[in-house]
Amino acid sequence: MNRTIIDCNANLGSWPFRRTSYNTPEDLLERIGRVGITQAWVTSLDAVVLKNVAAANAPLAEAVAEHDALRAVGTVNPSWPQWERDVAECAELGMIGVRVNPNYQAWLPTDPIFGELLSAAGELGLFVELTVRMTDERHHHPLMMVPPVALGGLLDLCARHQETTIMVANANNAQVLGVARDAAGPLPERLYFEMSHIESVGGVQAVADQIGVEHLLFGTHAPYYYPEAATLKVFDECDFSEAELEALTHGNAEGLLAAR
Amino acid sequence: MSAHGSIIDCHVHPTAARGDGPAACAAEMLRYADRMGIEWQGLSLGPVFIQQPTEDEIVADNDFIAEMIELHPDRFFGYANLNPNLLFHSLREIDERIANGPFVGIKLWVALCCNHANVDAICERAAELRAPILQHTFFRAGGNLAGESSPADVAALASRHPEVTFIAAHAGLNWERGIRAVADQPNVCVDTCGFDPEAGFTEMAVQWLGAERVLYGSDAAGRSFASQLAKVHGADISDDDKRLILSGNMRRVLAL
Repeated sequence: MNRTIIDCNANLGSWPFRRTSYNTPEDLLERIGRVGITQAWVTSLDAVVLKNVAAANAPLAEAVAEHDALRAVGTVNPSWPQWERDVAECAELGMIGVRVNPNYQAWLPTDPIFGELLSAAGELGLFVELTVRMTDERHHHPLMMVPPVALGGLLDLCARHQETTIMVANANNAQVLGVARDAAGPLPERLYFEMSHIESVGGVQAVADQIGVEHLLFGTHAPYYYPEAATLKVFDECDFSEAELEALTHGNAEGLLAAR
Repeated sequence: MSAHGSIIDCHVHPTAARGDGPAACAAEMLRYADRMGIEWQGLSLGPVFIQQPTEDEIVADNDFIAEMIELHPDRFFGYANLNPNLLFHSLREIDERIANGPFVGIKLWVALCCNHANVDAICERAAELRAPILQHTFFRAGGNLAGESSPADVAALASRHPEVTFIAAHAGLNWERGIRAVADQPNVCVDTCGFDPEAGFTEMAVQWLGAERVLYGSDAAGRSFASQLAKVHGADISDDDKRLILSGNMRRVLAL
C-alpha cells in the first residue's frame, strides 16, 4: 500500500559525539525511503552545539532546496541578541518552523524570552519545535552532560500563545503523559508531540489513547536512530485503525502546516 | 514469523506489561510478541524491580516468572533472578530453579558488581549446569550505581570462567565503549536491548565481535519490541547475520 508518511523529526549534518551515516539530503531520503517515508522535516544536527546556531540555517535551507520531499526547520537561540533577525531569516528562507534546544542553549522554557519567541514565530507563520533532548542522558560525553528540558509551564505557554503551534520533540512517555496529566482534559489545539522517543510495548498507542492521536506526529529522529524503529512501532506493534494511521502518519502534520 | 525466521528475544521483563498476575501478563506479552514475529521470550525480573531484593522477594519474583513459563512453556524461558549478596540463597535458587528446571539461565542485575567473589561462586555452578548468565551492564555517564557492573567487569569475570556464556546486557548502554570492553573475551555476547535505537550499534557490534556474539533482546515491556528489533532489521549487515542475531545465536547458547 502506498501511503504518505511525513517524518516530522529528521536531521541532517553531523553530531559531534558520534559519526552518523545517511546525513546528506540524498542519503537521508534514500534511507528513510526504504521504510516508506515520503517526506521529512529536517533540522541541523550541527546547530545544536554551535554557539552561533543561526549560522546553520542558510546552509540547511540550501541543502534541502532541490528536494521537494524535505522541509527545513531552522534553529534559533532566543537568549542571544538579535534572535528576532534569525527568526525572520528562517521565514525568508522558506523554513516551516524554528527549533529551540533550551538545554544546550542554557535557558529555560519558563523564561520570558521563550514567550517572546513564540509570539514572533507565530506572527511569521512558523511553528516552534521544543526539543527535549538529543540523546539518552545516561551516555552523554562525560564532560558535556546535558539534562533534558523540563516541560513544566508548557501548558501556560500554550494558553498565552494560542496563535503559535508548538511541537515537542524527543520527549519520552513520562514527559508526554506528564503534560497530559497536568492538562486534566484535552490538550491545547496547537500542541503536538513527536513520537520517536516513546517506548514500551505498545507505547505509542497507549500515549495516543491518553493525549489524543490528533496531537501525535510521526517522527524517526533519523539518521541518528534507525528509522525502522518508528515504522515498526506504528505499523506492526500497535493496532491503530486506518483513520488513526492516516492522522498519525501525515494528516496531523499536514494540518499543523496548514494552520500556521 | 518475520522475514528472517522466528525470533528469540533473549531479554524481557514482563513487569511493565499491563497485566496484573502472571496469566494476564503472559497474555499481554504474547499479544504484542505475536505481532512482531517473536516466538520465544527470555524472562526475568517479574513483579518489581528491586535493587537489593530480599530472599522472599527473589522467591516471589522467580515464582512469578515460573508461572508464566508453566503457562506457556513453548513461548517463554527463564533466567533465575539472584541477589549475589545472598550467596547461599543464590546457590539454592540455582539448584531449585535451574537444576530442577524450568529455568535455563541466571539473571544478575545491580545488587552486586560482578567483580565480587560471590559471583565467581555463582559462575562455577552455572558452568556445571551450562546456564548462561545475563548480566546487566552500563557504562553510565557520571559513573555507575553502587552494585552496577560494566562490560569491563563482565569481561574480567568471563576470563575466569571461560566455560560460561555471558550476555553483557545493553552492551554497556554506552555501546561504543562497551563493545570494545568485551571484544577480546570470546565467551561474552552482547544484547541489543535497553537503549534507544541508535543507528550504527549493530554494525559496530558485528564488526568487532562477529555476528555470532550479538543477540536480539528488547528489554520489553519497558522498551518496545519494535524499537529494539529495528536495530537488527535496520542494520547494514547481511541477512545471514540478522538471522544469527534474531535467533540462531540464542539457539546455540541455549543448546536448542
